[in-house]
Amino acid sequence: MLISFNKKLYKIKAIKLAIKEYQNLANFSLKQKGNYIQVELKNIDKDVKKIIKDEFCNYVLFKSKEN
Amino acid sequence: MDKNEIKFILDLKDYPLEAIYGAAYVFINKAYLFLDNKSSKKIEISLKGKNKLTKKQLENLKGEFLNELLNYTLRVNLNKHNKKIREYIVNQALFSAFNEEEITQEDKLGYEDDPLGIAVPWEEKYKKEIKKTK
Repeated sequence: MLISFNKKLYKIKAIKLAIKEYQNLANFSLKQKGNYIQVELKNIDKDVKKIIKDEFCNYVLFKSKEN
Repeated sequence: MDKNEIKFILDLKDYPLEAIYGAAYVFINKAYLFLDNKSSKKIEISLKGKNKLTKKQLENLKGEFLNELLNYTLRVNLNKHNKKIREYIVNQALFSAFNEEEITQEDKLGYEDDPLGIAVPWEEKYKKEIKKTK
């Protein structure tokens, strides 16, 4: 599962903080590609597979406002 | 519009980015949000229902978001325009917190004046008192 966050709208610090909170639900990897920060999720916990992407994006948005 | 999701584009000329973040923050509890930059001045907002929503409910969600956005835009603009007057009011409040008499009295004193007797040597100050008690 790949999520592309626009660098102008999402802060890298917020993404890293969100990954730290979600790391027990999946394996995360980060890479930068052009104007985007790409987050790849592997080995996702079965119980949260359907919602993890949306919940993670909301959490990054929440952290962006906070920091 | 598909998959329980509604997408729309906002122009940064009409809505400041700060207001978009503010409205998005309010909607975090109601929906799943995702922001993307379509061009330098246009932002695409995706609103996805946390539960299964009908087309009409998604349109209502969009409407509520736009209302909240308008609310935040007004707040941001007011904040920008009232910045100077707010700073002036705070300065005045802090300044008037000082006692006016204290300020004028302090202004009259020279650096050699010693109304509290701090500059008097210890011997001088306490010898007199000892003599008096004897």
